[in-house]
Amino acid sequence: MISLREIQTRFADSIFAKEDTGFEKYIVPGAFPPERHVQIYRNNVFAGLTDALQDVYPVVTRLVGEGFLKYAADTFIRRHPPRGGNLHDFGGEFAEFLAGFPPAVKLEYLPDVARLEWAYHRVFHGPDHAPLKQEALTAVPAGRYGELKFALHPASRLLSSDYPILRIWQVNQPGYQGDDTVDLSEGGVSLLVVRRDITVEIQPLSKGEFALLQTLAAGKTFESACTAALSAEPDFDLTGSLRRHVQNATLVDLHF
Amino acid sequence: MNVPTPAAPARPGTSDSGRCAAPIPARAGIGLRAQHYKEVIENRPPIGWLEVHSENYFGESGAPLYYLEQARRHYPLSLHGVGLSLGSTDELNWSHLHKLKALIARFEPGLVSEHLCWSSVNGRYLNDLLPLPYTEEALSHVTDRIRRVQDFLGRRILIENLSSYLQYTHSTIPEWEFIAEVARKSDCDILLDVNNVYVSSVNHRFDPQRYLEAIPPSKVREIHLAGYTVNRYPEGEVLIDSHGARVFDDVWVLYRQAVKQLGAVPTLIEWDTDIPALDVLVDEAHKADRVLEEIRDLVA
Repeated sequence: MISLREIQTRFADSIFAKEDTGFEKYIVPGAFPPERHVQIYRNNVFAGLTDALQDVYPVVTRLVGEGFLKYAADTFIRRHPPRGGNLHDFGGEFAEFLAGFPPAVKLEYLPDVARLEWAYHRVFHGPDHAPLKQEALTAVPAGRYGELKFALHPASRLLSSDYPILRIWQVNQPGYQGDDTVDLSEGGVSLLVVRRDITVEIQPLSKGEFALLQTLAAGKTFESACTAALSAEPDFDLTGSLRRHVQNATLVDLHF
Repeated sequence: MNVPTPAAPARPGTSDSGRCAAPIPARAGIGLRAQHYKEVIENRPPIGWLEVHSENYFGESGAPLYYLEQARRHYPLSLHGVGLSLGSTDELNWSHLHKLKALIARFEPGLVSEHLCWSSVNGRYLNDLLPLPYTEEALSHVTDRIRRVQDFLGRRILIENLSSYLQYTHSTIPEWEFIAEVARKSDCDILLDVNNVYVSSVNHRFDPQRYLEAIPPSKVREIHLAGYTVNRYPEGEVLIDSHGARVFDDVWVLYRQAVKQLGAVPTLIEWDTDIPALDVLVDEAHKADRVLEEIRDLVA
Protein backbone atom coordinates (compact mmCIF):
# COMPACT_ATOMS: atom_id res chain seq x y z
CA MET A 1 0.00 0.00 0.00
CA ILE A 2 1.18 3.52 -0.78
CA SER A 3 2.58 5.25 2.31
CA LEU A 4 0.99 8.33 3.84
CA ARG A 5 4.07 10.36 2.99
CA GLU A 6 4.04 9.23 -0.62
CA ILE A 7 0.34 10.00 -1.14
CA GLN A 8 0.77 13.46 0.41
CA THR A 9 3.79 14.19 -1.77
CA ARG A 10 1.98 13.12 -4.93
CA PHE A 11 -1.15 15.07 -3.96
CA ALA A 12 0.84 18.29 -3.39
CA ASP A 13 2.81 17.77 -6.62
CA SER A 14 -0.47 17.36 -8.51
CA ILE A 15 -1.71 20.66 -7.09
CA PHE A 16 1.43 22.69 -7.80
CA ALA A 17 2.55 21.03 -11.03
CA LYS A 18 0.33 19.85 -13.81
CA GLU A 19 2.36 16.89 -15.04
CA ASP A 20 1.26 13.39 -14.14
CA THR A 21 2.38 12.47 -10.64
CA GLY A 22 0.66 9.09 -10.47
CA PHE A 23 -1.72 10.49 -7.85
CA GLU A 24 -4.94 10.07 -9.79
CA LYS A 25 -4.97 6.28 -9.62
CA TYR A 26 -5.51 6.58 -5.86
CA ILE A 27 -8.77 8.51 -6.31
CA VAL A 28 -11.98 6.48 -6.06
CA PRO A 29 -13.62 6.65 -9.48
CA GLY A 30 -17.18 7.89 -9.54
CA ALA A 31 -19.30 10.29 -11.53
CA PHE A 32 -16.27 12.52 -12.15
CA PRO A 33 -13.00 11.84 -13.93
CA PRO A 34 -10.08 11.77 -11.45
CA GLU A 35 -8.61 15.00 -12.80
CA ARG A 36 -11.84 16.79 -11.83
CA HIS A 37 -11.20 16.01 -8.15
CA VAL A 38 -7.65 17.30 -8.41
CA GLN A 39 -8.89 20.38 -10.25
CA ILE A 40 -11.36 21.19 -7.43
CA TYR A 41 -8.53 21.09 -4.89
CA ARG A 42 -6.20 23.04 -7.17
CA ASN A 43 -8.87 25.74 -7.57
CA ASN A 44 -9.39 25.92 -3.80
CA VAL A 45 -5.66 26.15 -3.10
CA PHE A 46 -4.95 28.78 -5.74
CA ALA A 47 -8.09 30.81 -4.93
CA GLY A 48 -7.21 30.81 -1.23
CA LEU A 49 -3.60 31.84 -1.76
CA THR A 50 -4.53 34.42 -4.40
CA ASP A 51 -6.99 35.96 -1.93
CA ALA A 52 -4.25 36.08 0.67
CA LEU A 53 -1.96 37.84 -1.81
CA GLN A 54 -4.68 40.33 -2.74
CA ASP A 55 -5.28 41.09 0.94
CA VAL A 56 -1.63 42.07 1.37
CA TYR A 57 -1.34 43.81 -2.03
CA PRO A 58 -4.62 45.70 -2.59
CA VAL A 59 -2.95 48.62 -4.42
CA VAL A 60 -0.96 46.34 -6.74
CA THR A 61 -4.24 44.52 -7.42
CA ARG A 62 -5.98 47.79 -8.29
CA LEU A 63 -3.12 48.88 -10.52
CA VAL A 64 -3.00 45.71 -12.60
CA GLY A 65 -6.62 44.54 -12.24
CA GLU A 66 -7.85 41.31 -10.66
CA GLY A 67 -7.45 39.29 -13.85
CA PHE A 68 -3.77 40.12 -14.22
CA LEU A 69 -3.18 39.66 -10.49
CA LYS A 70 -4.64 36.13 -10.67
CA TYR A 71 -2.44 35.39 -13.68
CA ALA A 72 0.69 36.59 -11.87
CA ALA A 73 -0.36 34.82 -8.65
CA ASP A 74 -0.63 31.52 -10.51
CA THR A 75 3.09 31.58 -11.33
CA PHE A 76 4.11 33.20 -8.04
CA ILE A 77 2.37 30.55 -5.89
CA ARG A 78 4.09 27.69 -7.75
CA ARG A 79 7.46 29.39 -7.33
CA HIS A 80 7.02 30.66 -3.75
CA PRO A 81 4.44 28.51 -1.95
CA PRO A 82 3.83 29.26 1.75
CA ARG A 83 6.44 27.72 4.05
CA GLY A 84 4.26 27.74 7.18
CA GLY A 85 0.68 27.63 8.34
CA ASN A 86 0.74 31.31 9.29
CA LEU A 87 -0.37 33.13 6.15
CA HIS A 88 0.98 36.44 7.46
CA ASP A 89 4.38 35.19 6.30
CA PHE A 90 3.25 34.38 2.76
CA GLY A 91 3.94 36.70 -0.17
CA GLY A 92 7.13 38.47 0.89
CA GLU A 93 8.86 37.69 -2.42
CA PHE A 94 6.11 39.24 -4.53
CA ALA A 95 7.91 42.55 -5.24
CA GLU A 96 11.02 40.74 -6.41
CA PHE A 97 8.88 38.35 -8.42
CA LEU A 98 7.05 41.21 -10.18
CA ALA A 99 10.38 42.85 -11.03
CA GLY A 100 11.33 39.72 -12.98
CA PHE A 101 7.87 38.88 -14.35
CA PRO A 102 8.01 39.73 -18.09
CA PRO A 103 4.30 40.64 -18.52
CA ALA A 104 4.65 43.28 -15.75
CA VAL A 105 7.98 44.67 -16.79
CA LYS A 106 6.54 47.84 -18.35
CA LEU A 107 5.07 48.90 -15.01
CA GLU A 108 8.48 49.87 -13.63
CA TYR A 109 7.02 51.33 -10.42
CA LEU A 110 5.02 48.17 -9.59
CA PRO A 111 7.72 46.28 -7.60
CA ASP A 112 8.27 49.35 -5.41
CA VAL A 113 4.54 49.68 -4.73
CA ALA A 114 4.58 45.99 -3.74
CA ARG A 115 7.57 46.68 -1.42
CA LEU A 116 5.58 49.46 0.24
CA GLU A 117 2.57 47.17 0.73
CA TRP A 118 4.72 44.38 2.20
CA ALA A 119 6.33 46.90 4.57
CA TYR A 120 2.85 48.08 5.58
CA HIS A 121 1.75 44.46 6.18
CA ARG A 122 4.76 43.60 8.37
CA VAL A 123 4.44 46.83 10.34
CA PHE A 124 0.70 46.24 10.81
CA HIS A 125 1.44 42.92 12.61
CA GLY A 126 4.78 43.96 14.12
CA PRO A 127 5.63 44.17 17.83
CA ASP A 128 4.98 47.10 20.16
CA HIS A 129 7.76 49.05 21.82
CA ALA A 130 7.70 51.70 24.55
CA PRO A 131 9.09 55.12 23.53
CA LEU A 132 12.60 56.14 24.58
CA LYS A 133 12.59 58.08 27.82
CA GLN A 134 13.74 61.67 27.38
CA GLU A 135 16.01 61.21 30.45
CA ALA A 136 17.90 58.45 28.68
CA LEU A 137 18.91 60.95 26.03
CA THR A 138 19.69 63.83 28.40
CA ALA A 139 21.79 61.50 30.58
CA VAL A 140 24.24 60.99 27.73
CA PRO A 141 27.42 63.07 28.31
CA ALA A 142 27.68 65.73 25.59
CA GLY A 143 31.06 64.44 24.43
CA ARG A 144 29.77 60.95 23.77
CA TYR A 145 26.80 61.66 21.47
CA GLY A 146 28.81 60.66 18.43
CA GLU A 147 29.30 57.11 19.74
CA LEU A 148 25.59 56.51 20.39
CA LYS A 149 23.72 53.80 18.56
CA PHE A 150 19.93 53.89 18.25
CA ALA A 151 17.35 51.17 17.69
CA LEU A 152 14.39 51.90 15.45
CA HIS A 153 10.87 50.88 16.46
CA PRO A 154 10.55 47.13 15.70
CA ALA A 155 7.29 47.86 13.82
CA SER A 156 8.94 50.18 11.30
CA ARG A 157 10.45 49.96 7.82
CA LEU A 158 12.44 52.39 5.67
CA LEU A 159 12.20 52.32 1.92
CA SER A 160 12.97 54.56 -1.02
CA SER A 161 11.91 54.49 -4.63
CA ASP A 162 12.67 56.31 -7.88
CA TYR A 163 8.89 56.59 -8.38
CA PRO A 164 6.18 58.56 -6.52
CA ILE A 165 4.92 55.42 -4.76
CA LEU A 166 3.36 57.27 -1.84
CA ARG A 167 1.15 59.27 -4.21
CA ILE A 168 0.32 56.06 -6.11
CA TRP A 169 -0.59 54.38 -2.82
CA GLN A 170 -2.73 57.30 -1.65
CA VAL A 171 -4.83 57.72 -4.80
CA ASN A 172 -5.53 53.97 -4.80
CA GLN A 173 -6.93 53.82 -1.27
CA PRO A 174 -10.60 52.87 -0.95
CA GLY A 175 -12.70 56.01 -0.60
CA TYR A 176 -10.02 58.29 -2.09
CA GLN A 177 -11.65 61.26 -3.78
CA GLY A 178 -10.07 63.89 -5.91
CA ASP A 179 -7.55 63.98 -8.70
CA ASP A 180 -6.18 60.48 -9.15
CA THR A 181 -3.65 61.21 -11.85
CA VAL A 182 -0.05 60.49 -10.92
CA ASP A 183 2.82 62.15 -12.75
CA LEU A 184 5.56 59.52 -12.77
CA SER A 185 8.11 62.21 -13.62
CA GLU A 186 7.48 63.92 -10.26
CA GLY A 187 10.31 61.71 -9.04
CA GLY A 188 11.19 59.40 -6.21
CA VAL A 189 10.41 59.35 -2.54
CA SER A 190 11.91 58.10 0.72
CA LEU A 191 9.49 56.69 3.26
CA LEU A 192 9.19 55.61 6.85
CA VAL A 193 6.41 53.09 7.52
CA VAL A 194 5.77 52.88 11.24
CA ARG A 195 2.97 51.87 13.57
CA ARG A 196 1.78 54.25 16.30
CA ASP A 197 -0.49 52.27 18.67
CA ILE A 198 -2.58 50.36 16.16
CA THR A 199 -2.39 52.78 13.25
CA VAL A 200 0.17 52.35 10.47
CA GLU A 201 1.60 55.65 9.20
CA ILE A 202 3.55 56.24 6.01
CA GLN A 203 5.74 59.33 6.34
CA PRO A 204 7.69 60.91 3.51
CA LEU A 205 11.24 61.69 4.65
CA SER A 206 13.72 64.27 3.40
CA LYS A 207 16.94 62.86 1.92
CA GLY A 208 18.85 63.76 5.08
CA GLU A 209 16.28 62.23 7.39
CA PHE A 210 16.24 59.02 5.38
CA ALA A 211 20.06 58.80 5.40
CA LEU A 212 20.10 59.43 9.17
CA LEU A 213 17.53 56.75 9.98
CA GLN A 214 18.87 54.25 7.48
CA THR A 215 22.40 54.55 8.86
CA LEU A 216 21.12 54.15 12.42
CA ALA A 217 18.96 51.19 11.37
CA ALA A 218 22.14 49.55 10.01
CA GLY A 219 23.56 49.67 13.56
CA LYS A 220 26.10 52.43 12.88
CA THR A 221 26.94 55.28 15.26
CA PHE A 222 25.13 58.59 15.49
CA GLU A 223 28.28 60.25 14.15
CA SER A 224 28.24 58.17 10.96
CA ALA A 225 24.49 58.80 10.65
CA CYS A 226 25.10 62.57 10.91
CA THR A 227 27.81 62.41 8.26
CA ALA A 228 25.52 60.44 5.93
CA ALA A 229 22.59 62.82 6.57
CA LEU A 230 24.63 65.97 5.93
CA SER A 231 26.21 64.59 2.79
CA ALA A 232 22.73 63.70 1.47
CA GLU A 233 21.28 67.07 2.53
CA PRO A 234 23.84 69.77 3.45
CA ASP A 235 21.41 72.04 5.37
CA PHE A 236 19.75 69.16 7.24
CA ASP A 237 18.41 69.98 10.74
CA LEU A 238 20.12 67.22 12.74
CA THR A 239 19.03 68.22 16.23
CA GLY A 240 15.40 68.87 15.27
CA SER A 241 15.16 65.61 13.38
CA LEU A 242 16.68 63.56 16.20
CA ARG A 243 14.33 65.16 18.75
CA ARG A 244 11.29 64.53 16.56
CA HIS A 245 12.11 60.88 15.95
CA VAL A 246 12.71 60.25 19.63
CA GLN A 247 9.48 62.04 20.62
CA ASN A 248 7.31 60.16 18.14
CA ALA A 249 8.99 56.83 18.93
CA THR A 250 10.72 56.10 15.64
CA LEU A 251 13.90 55.73 17.70
CA VAL A 252 13.04 53.67 20.75
CA ASP A 253 16.32 52.62 22.31
CA LEU A 254 19.93 53.70 22.61
CA HIS A 255 23.21 52.17 23.67
CA PHE A 256 26.94 52.68 23.25
CA MET B 1 -2.59 12.71 29.15
CA ASN B 2 -6.02 13.26 30.59
CA VAL B 3 -7.01 16.89 30.83
CA PRO B 4 -10.51 17.42 32.20
CA THR B 5 -12.73 19.78 30.24
CA PRO B 6 -14.73 22.04 32.55
CA ALA B 7 -18.49 21.81 32.23
CA ALA B 8 -20.04 24.87 30.60
CA PRO B 9 -22.26 26.99 32.87
CA ALA B 10 -25.72 27.94 31.62
CA ARG B 11 -24.69 31.58 31.47
CA PRO B 12 -21.23 33.07 30.96
CA GLY B 13 -20.10 34.77 34.15
CA THR B 14 -17.49 37.45 34.58
CA SER B 15 -14.20 36.77 36.29
CA ASP B 16 -12.55 39.11 38.80
CA SER B 17 -10.28 40.47 36.06
CA GLY B 18 -13.31 42.03 34.38
CA ARG B 19 -12.89 39.58 31.56
CA CYS B 20 -15.74 37.31 30.57
CA ALA B 21 -15.31 33.78 31.98
CA ALA B 22 -13.72 31.23 29.68
CA PRO B 23 -16.16 28.30 29.34
CA ILE B 24 -18.16 28.27 26.12
CA PRO B 25 -21.90 28.08 26.92
CA ALA B 26 -24.18 25.61 25.12
CA ARG B 27 -25.53 28.40 22.95
CA ALA B 28 -24.85 29.70 19.48
CA GLY B 29 -21.78 31.80 18.75
CA ILE B 30 -20.42 33.53 15.68
CA GLY B 31 -17.05 33.81 13.98
CA LEU B 32 -15.54 37.24 14.71
CA ARG B 33 -14.22 38.89 11.54
CA ALA B 34 -12.29 42.14 11.11
CA GLN B 35 -15.26 43.83 9.38
CA HIS B 36 -17.29 43.45 12.58
CA TYR B 37 -14.71 44.28 15.28
CA LYS B 38 -16.05 47.72 16.14
CA GLU B 39 -19.71 46.81 15.91
CA VAL B 40 -19.29 43.75 18.13
CA ILE B 41 -17.29 45.67 20.72
CA GLU B 42 -19.60 48.70 20.78
CA ASN B 43 -23.01 47.05 20.40
CA ARG B 44 -22.30 43.69 22.05
CA PRO B 45 -24.92 41.67 20.16
CA PRO B 46 -26.72 39.00 22.20
CA ILE B 47 -24.71 35.96 21.18
CA GLY B 48 -23.24 33.34 23.45
CA TRP B 49 -19.59 33.40 22.40
CA LEU B 50 -17.08 34.19 19.67
CA GLU B 51 -14.65 32.12 17.64
CA VAL B 52 -11.62 33.30 15.66
CA HIS B 53 -9.06 31.63 13.43
CA SER B 54 -6.00 31.28 15.65
CA GLU B 55 -3.53 32.15 12.87
CA ASN B 56 -5.16 35.55 12.26
CA TYR B 57 -3.78 36.51 15.68
CA PHE B 58 -0.24 35.18 15.21
CA GLY B 59 1.05 38.72 14.66
CA GLU B 60 3.22 40.20 17.38
CA SER B 61 0.90 43.12 18.09
CA GLY B 62 -1.29 45.63 16.29
CA ALA B 63 -4.97 46.05 15.47
CA PRO B 64 -6.21 42.43 15.33
CA LEU B 65 -4.88 41.58 18.80
CA TYR B 66 -6.07 44.92 20.16
CA TYR B 67 -9.64 44.31 18.99
CA LEU B 68 -9.60 40.70 20.13
CA GLU B 69 -8.63 41.85 23.63
CA GLN B 70 -11.62 44.20 23.64
CA ALA B 71 -14.01 41.54 22.39
CA ARG B 72 -12.68 38.97 24.86
CA ARG B 73 -13.75 41.18 27.78
CA HIS B 74 -17.36 40.61 26.85
CA TYR B 75 -17.50 37.13 25.34
CA PRO B 76 -16.11 33.67 25.92
CA LEU B 77 -13.72 32.80 23.09
CA SER B 78 -12.91 29.71 21.07
CA LEU B 79 -9.67 29.43 19.06
CA HIS B 80 -10.01 27.56 15.79
CA GLY B 81 -6.83 26.62 13.91
CA VAL B 82 -6.66 26.30 10.15
CA GLY B 83 -2.92 25.88 9.54
CA LEU B 84 -1.39 23.39 11.97
CA SER B 85 -1.40 20.54 9.44
CA LEU B 86 -2.02 17.88 12.09
CA GLY B 87 -2.02 15.00 9.62
CA SER B 88 1.15 15.96 7.73
CA THR B 89 4.09 13.56 7.55
CA ASP B 90 6.48 16.49 8.05
CA GLU B 91 7.70 17.16 11.60
CA LEU B 92 5.20 19.08 13.74
CA ASN B 93 5.56 22.81 13.13
CA TRP B 94 6.93 23.85 16.52
CA SER B 95 7.13 27.58 15.82
CA HIS B 96 3.43 27.42 14.90
CA LEU B 97 2.69 25.53 18.12
CA HIS B 98 4.66 28.02 20.21
CA LYS B 99 2.58 30.85 18.78
CA LEU B 100 -0.63 28.94 19.45
CA LYS B 101 0.42 28.22 23.01
CA ALA B 102 1.19 31.90 23.64
CA LEU B 103 -2.17 32.89 22.18
CA ILE B 104 -3.93 30.41 24.47
CA ALA B 105 -2.09 31.78 27.50
CA ARG B 106 -3.04 35.32 26.55
CA PHE B 107 -6.72 34.87 25.73
CA GLU B 108 -7.80 31.92 27.92
CA PRO B 109 -10.08 30.36 25.30
CA GLY B 110 -12.82 27.98 26.41
CA LEU B 111 -12.12 25.69 23.45
CA VAL B 112 -9.19 25.12 21.11
CA SER B 113 -9.80 23.26 17.87
CA GLU B 114 -7.93 22.03 14.79
CA HIS B 115 -8.86 20.07 11.68
CA LEU B 116 -8.46 16.35 11.13
CA CYS B 117 -6.52 16.91 7.92
CA TRP B 118 -3.14 17.74 6.47
CA SER B 119 -2.15 20.89 4.60
CA SER B 120 1.59 20.64 4.06
CA VAL B 121 4.28 18.23 2.95
CA ASN B 122 8.00 18.58 2.20
CA GLY B 123 7.85 22.07 3.71
CA ARG B 124 5.28 23.40 1.25
CA TYR B 125 1.94 24.56 2.66
CA LEU B 126 -1.20 24.48 0.54
CA ASN B 127 -3.36 26.57 2.89
CA ASP B 128 -6.17 24.10 2.36
CA LEU B 129 -7.73 21.34 4.44
CA LEU B 130 -6.77 18.13 2.65
CA PRO B 131 -8.24 14.74 3.53
CA LEU B 132 -6.20 11.90 4.97
CA PRO B 133 -6.55 8.42 3.58
CA TYR B 134 -8.48 6.54 6.25
CA THR B 135 -5.94 3.78 6.89
CA GLU B 136 -4.37 2.21 9.99
CA GLU B 137 -1.15 4.06 9.18
CA ALA B 138 -2.87 7.46 9.06
CA LEU B 139 -4.85 6.63 12.20
CA SER B 140 -1.77 5.84 14.24
CA HIS B 141 0.16 8.79 12.74
CA VAL B 142 -2.45 11.43 13.48
CA THR B 143 -3.29 9.96 16.89
CA ASP B 144 0.34 10.25 17.92
CA ARG B 145 0.54 13.84 16.63
CA ILE B 146 -2.61 14.92 18.49
CA ARG B 147 -1.23 13.44 21.70
CA ARG B 148 2.02 15.35 21.23
CA VAL B 149 0.17 18.57 20.49
CA GLN B 150 -2.03 18.15 23.57
CA ASP B 151 0.98 17.39 25.73
CA PHE B 152 2.72 20.51 24.46
CA LEU B 153 -0.31 22.77 24.85
CA GLY B 154 -1.19 21.23 28.23
CA ARG B 155 -4.83 20.91 27.24
CA ARG B 156 -7.26 18.90 25.25
CA ILE B 157 -8.07 20.01 21.73
CA LEU B 158 -11.06 19.37 19.48
CA ILE B 159 -10.61 17.96 16.00
CA GLU B 160 -13.00 18.88 13.22
CA ASN B 161 -14.28 16.68 10.39
CA LEU B 162 -13.72 18.06 6.87
CA SER B 163 -15.68 18.56 3.73
CA SER B 164 -13.92 16.53 1.05
CA TYR B 165 -13.93 16.32 -2.72
CA LEU B 166 -12.20 13.00 -3.22
CA GLN B 167 -11.87 9.60 -1.60
CA TYR B 168 -8.77 7.41 -1.71
CA THR B 169 -8.85 3.92 -3.17
CA HIS B 170 -6.66 2.64 -0.34
CA SER B 171 -8.83 3.91 2.53
CA THR B 172 -9.96 0.98 4.65
CA ILE B 173 -11.97 2.70 7.41
CA PRO B 174 -15.14 4.79 6.96
CA GLU B 175 -14.50 8.45 7.83
CA TRP B 176 -17.00 8.39 10.74
CA GLU B 177 -15.24 5.44 12.35
CA PHE B 178 -11.85 7.03 11.71
CA ILE B 179 -12.67 10.29 13.50
CA ALA B 180 -14.36 8.48 16.40
CA GLU B 181 -11.32 6.23 16.76
CA VAL B 182 -8.87 9.14 16.59
CA ALA B 183 -10.82 10.91 19.35
CA ARG B 184 -10.83 7.78 21.54
CA LYS B 185 -7.18 6.87 21.00
CA SER B 186 -5.71 10.34 21.34
CA ASP B 187 -8.05 11.45 24.13
CA CYS B 188 -9.16 14.52 22.24
CA ASP B 189 -12.65 15.90 21.67
CA ILE B 190 -14.60 16.43 18.47
CA LEU B 191 -15.83 19.53 16.71
CA LEU B 192 -18.63 18.16 14.56
CA ASP B 193 -19.14 20.29 11.46
CA VAL B 194 -22.67 19.36 10.44
CA ASN B 195 -22.38 21.24 7.15
CA ASN B 196 -19.24 19.26 6.34
CA VAL B 197 -21.00 15.98 7.11
CA TYR B 198 -23.77 17.05 4.74
CA VAL B 199 -21.43 18.26 1.98
CA SER B 200 -19.33 15.09 2.07
CA SER B 201 -22.44 12.88 2.24
CA VAL B 202 -23.71 14.43 -1.00
CA ASN B 203 -20.31 14.37 -2.70
CA HIS B 204 -19.53 10.79 -1.69
CA ARG B 205 -23.10 9.47 -1.52
CA PHE B 206 -23.31 8.18 2.03
CA ASP B 207 -26.06 8.48 4.62
CA PRO B 208 -25.24 11.42 6.91
CA GLN B 209 -27.34 9.86 9.65
CA ARG B 210 -24.94 6.94 9.71
CA TYR B 211 -22.10 9.42 10.26
CA LEU B 212 -23.88 11.05 13.21
CA GLU B 213 -24.62 7.69 14.81
CA ALA B 214 -20.94 6.71 14.78
CA ILE B 215 -19.83 9.83 16.66
CA PRO B 216 -19.53 9.28 20.44
CA PRO B 217 -21.83 11.97 21.96
CA SER B 218 -19.60 12.49 25.00
CA LYS B 219 -16.76 13.62 22.72
CA VAL B 220 -18.61 16.36 20.86
CA ARG B 221 -17.88 19.73 22.48
CA GLU B 222 -18.77 22.01 19.59
CA ILE B 223 -20.78 22.05 16.36
CA HIS B 224 -20.12 24.14 13.25
CA LEU B 225 -22.77 25.32 10.81
CA ALA B 226 -22.16 27.14 7.54
CA GLY B 227 -23.37 27.56 3.99
CA TYR B 228 -21.96 25.73 0.99
CA THR B 229 -21.71 26.48 -2.73
CA VAL B 230 -22.79 24.20 -5.59
CA ASN B 231 -20.22 23.87 -8.39
CA ARG B 232 -21.63 22.55 -11.64
CA TYR B 233 -19.50 20.48 -14.00
CA PRO B 234 -20.42 18.63 -17.22
CA GLU B 235 -20.60 15.38 -15.21
CA GLY B 236 -22.71 16.75 -12.37
CA GLU B 237 -22.61 18.84 -9.20
CA VAL B 238 -20.13 19.06 -6.36
CA LEU B 239 -20.89 20.81 -3.08
CA ILE B 240 -18.07 23.09 -1.93
CA ASP B 241 -17.70 24.11 1.70
CA SER B 242 -17.40 27.83 0.98
CA HIS B 243 -18.61 29.39 4.25
CA GLY B 244 -20.19 32.10 2.14
CA ALA B 245 -23.95 31.69 2.57
CA ARG B 246 -26.71 31.11 5.10
CA VAL B 247 -27.07 27.56 6.43
CA PHE B 248 -29.15 25.51 3.98
CA ASP B 249 -32.46 23.88 5.00
CA ASP B 250 -31.14 20.33 4.64
CA VAL B 251 -28.29 21.19 6.97
CA TRP B 252 -30.69 22.63 9.55
CA VAL B 253 -32.58 19.32 9.42
CA LEU B 254 -29.35 17.39 9.99
CA TYR B 255 -28.38 19.80 12.78
CA ARG B 256 -31.67 19.13 14.55
CA GLN B 257 -30.97 15.41 14.36
CA ALA B 258 -27.44 15.94 15.60
CA VAL B 259 -28.44 17.87 18.71
CA LYS B 260 -31.19 15.33 19.44
CA GLN B 261 -28.46 12.71 19.60
CA LEU B 262 -25.71 14.79 21.15
CA GLY B 263 -27.64 17.16 23.39
CA ALA B 264 -27.27 20.95 23.49
CA VAL B 265 -23.72 21.62 22.26
CA PRO B 266 -22.12 25.07 21.65
CA THR B 267 -22.83 25.83 17.99
CA LEU B 268 -20.92 28.21 15.74
CA ILE B 269 -22.17 30.04 12.67
CA GLU B 270 -19.15 30.21 10.32
CA TRP B 271 -18.99 32.74 7.53
CA ASP B 272 -15.61 33.41 5.92
CA THR B 273 -16.24 34.62 2.35
CA ASP B 274 -18.59 37.40 1.17
CA ILE B 275 -19.05 38.27 4.81
CA PRO B 276 -22.50 39.82 5.36
CA ALA B 277 -23.75 42.42 7.84
CA LEU B 278 -23.37 41.39 11.47
CA ASP B 279 -27.18 41.20 11.82
CA VAL B 280 -27.27 38.31 9.36
CA LEU B 281 -24.80 36.32 11.47
CA VAL B 282 -26.69 37.12 14.66
CA ASP B 283 -29.93 36.05 12.99
CA GLU B 284 -28.42 32.71 11.97
CA ALA B 285 -27.09 32.27 15.51
CA HIS B 286 -30.56 32.85 16.91
CA LYS B 287 -31.96 30.17 14.62
CA ALA B 288 -29.45 27.74 16.10
CA ASP B 289 -30.33 28.97 19.60
CA ARG B 290 -33.99 28.14 18.98
CA VAL B 291 -33.05 24.57 18.03
CA LEU B 292 -30.92 24.26 21.16
CA GLU B 293 -33.83 25.57 23.26
CA GLU B 294 -36.20 23.00 21.75
CA ILE B 295 -33.80 20.24 22.70
CA ARG B 296 -33.52 21.51 26.24
CA ASP B 297 -37.32 21.65 26.54
CA LEU B 298 -37.51 18.14 25.18
CA VAL B 299 -35.03 16.87 27.75
CA ALA B 300 -36.77 18.80 30.58
